[in-house]
Amino acid sequence: MTEYSRMAKGRFVSTGAAQIVNLPFVPDYVEFINYTASASGADNGVPNAHWDALMGQGVAVIDRFQAANQLTTDTVDTLGISTFTAGQMLQYGATQVVGGITKANPAIVTVTGHGYASGDVVIFQNLYESATTGMPQIDGIPFTVTVIDANSFSIPWNTNQTAYTAITGGATGGPTVKKVLYPYLYAPGVNIISAITTGSTTTIDTTSAHNFVVGQEVAIRMPQVQGVSPTAWGDSRYNSLPNSLTPGSPQYGYVIAVTDYNTVVVNINSTGYTAYNSNIPVANVSGLSYPQIVAVGDVNTGGVQISSGSALYPPPFTRPIGNTTVNTINGPAIQGAYFNNTSQGFIIGAGAAEGDASAILVGAAEDVIYWRAYLHDLSIPQ
Amino acid sequence: MSGITNTGNLGPMILQSLAPAMLYVPTPTMNYITVCDKVSMPANGGTTCRFMRPRALTPPTIQLGNSGIDPPAQVPQRDIIDAQMAFFGTGCIINEQVILQDQEGVLAWVSERLAVAMRQAEDLILRDYIVSAASQINAGGGSNGDNPTNLGITDFSLVAATLDTNNAYKFMSGIEGMDRFGTGPVRSSYFMLSSTELQADFDGLQGSGFLSQWNYPTNASALPSEYGNVFNIRILTSSEAPVARGASDLGSDVYYNTVLGKQAITHINQDGYSMNLIYRDPYYSGMLAQNATLAVKFAQAQAITQDTAIRNLLSTRSSSLGV
Repeated sequence: MTEYSRMAKGRFVSTGAAQIVNLPFVPDYVEFINYTASASGADNGVPNAHWDALMGQGVAVIDRFQAANQLTTDTVDTLGISTFTAGQMLQYGATQVVGGITKANPAIVTVTGHGYASGDVVIFQNLYESATTGMPQIDGIPFTVTVIDANSFSIPWNTNQTAYTAITGGATGGPTVKKVLYPYLYAPGVNIISAITTGSTTTIDTTSAHNFVVGQEVAIRMPQVQGVSPTAWGDSRYNSLPNSLTPGSPQYGYVIAVTDYNTVVVNINSTGYTAYNSNIPVANVSGLSYPQIVAVGDVNTGGVQISSGSALYPPPFTRPIGNTTVNTINGPAIQGAYFNNTSQGFIIGAGAAEGDASAILVGAAEDVIYWRAYLHDLSIPQ
Repeated sequence: MSGITNTGNLGPMILQSLAPAMLYVPTPTMNYITVCDKVSMPANGGTTCRFMRPRALTPPTIQLGNSGIDPPAQVPQRDIIDAQMAFFGTGCIINEQVILQDQEGVLAWVSERLAVAMRQAEDLILRDYIVSAASQINAGGGSNGDNPTNLGITDFSLVAATLDTNNAYKFMSGIEGMDRFGTGPVRSSYFMLSSTELQADFDGLQGSGFLSQWNYPTNASALPSEYGNVFNIRILTSSEAPVARGASDLGSDVYYNTVLGKQAITHINQDGYSMNLIYRDPYYSGMLAQNATLAVKFAQAQAITQDTAIRNLLSTRSSSLGV
């Protein structure tokens, strides 16, 4: 009974954060050996772990060292091993209560035991407090989080403005946050702008990963907000509406530098343009549209520049945080092409052992992990 | 009363008979593929389909004068849009005993379901791509105080005006009014791909601008999923239209109403590889097992080819949902 079973194995070097492994199937059994932890035998190491689909998502049965070279058995009950199928968008994780959001740039969010990793994308809700207070301006916007600690993270938005009131939530029914499970299924996508620096070139910050590459042709959408002074969000000349000088010709720009996951420099000369203004009063939030930057085309380069050791046509990639790139499972592509980033497989989480909070399933940074994944022909539920 | 033979004392030898007609499978209407441009990449054409769109040249509105000197030449420019091909597929493994013993034509109806699943996949891929990549306008014309609001009549005007200002091409020409009670003329229109869950909201706009398909002077040009018209927009509804559940400011569902003109989205297949049904008859699968396989496979890429001709009009809902 093995003709249709699926088996796969591989290796990765742990970063200490949850590790995603893409496969052509969703496994029902996963096991791994942490070679580094096994070799060292150091206290708190997790030399091997097992997971079966019947155990449920996000758990694992592990061996761990309770003292040097002294093994015991244990379980990981949350953030263990789980499977995923990233093939339909608009999926969200569990709703969590927001303890607070500071007036700062970037804003700092407090959520007790949030469980997020840097690069995760979240949306907020119920930040409205009254007709003049709260932060409903950022409700519904996808934000990439940068984790500060287990209970706080930052988001790329300036809330240190007069129209924003610090959120002191914490109550059920109040402000909430939830994770966007698969934010980059198709790329490059539409991005909400969080800041603009004007000049002979224009630097644009986005609220989540833009996934642009150098040479990407982009357009800016700058919606109007009636009755806000100075002009919100920004100068209407950014818009790619047909140029009044050349009717019928939209105005586009090219990405000339990618600073990091949420910052690009575009060759639009915005010298003298009205400064970007996200200080939108709460009263204007109902029906508020957001400034966006979208991909509208690619450069005519025919591929990436060839440098020593580089592949001519690497697979397309996303850049979820910092300058870390994550390849898709698809084959070679011309950079900047619209690509499908759907995938499936399993995740080895960074959860802690039930009996020892310092024993982390995915190990420490630089640990070498060998994994095997199975999908069985014959599986008999109990 | 003895002596009466009934099914209590003389029951049928065989208690079951398969009804001749298969029951229908509830299937959403697939609107996204309907409104796409279709392009086929040639065989051996690589992984990426490239589109080219020339840019307009500056109209020469300045008189030449009598100097005899030509004005400087213009350099033609073009925009390049690339889309990377991806392959998709699924299948079923059917043991020979099923084919041998089951009364119905298993291979026939499984083939049909695979084909429908594949067509749905095409549509869902397009749907999710449009949600990911098309720019957005939040509805603000409604009255529910959320962000986005429910759809107000001004939202239809705003989004159509945006596309008109971008010189987008409308899909449908208008329908002239006729002397038929209860009908009204229909303007030339863009399409809006919307959710069946919003139909009650559209009905609520009757009298303010919404015209049901059944109030068109003639619905000869109406599509099967067409619900009606508001100003320059004809609305196609489907149960698979994208909804971000509980994602609004106030925790309501957010609907992605895609408004688009011609050539806004292009669907690309590779050399007719739009659908391959792959059948292998019962075959050695072990010492005794003989299994047939039925599978479908297709190649697809998609691109926003006229970004100026598409907007997602995000909205919440004013009416309650049925269940």
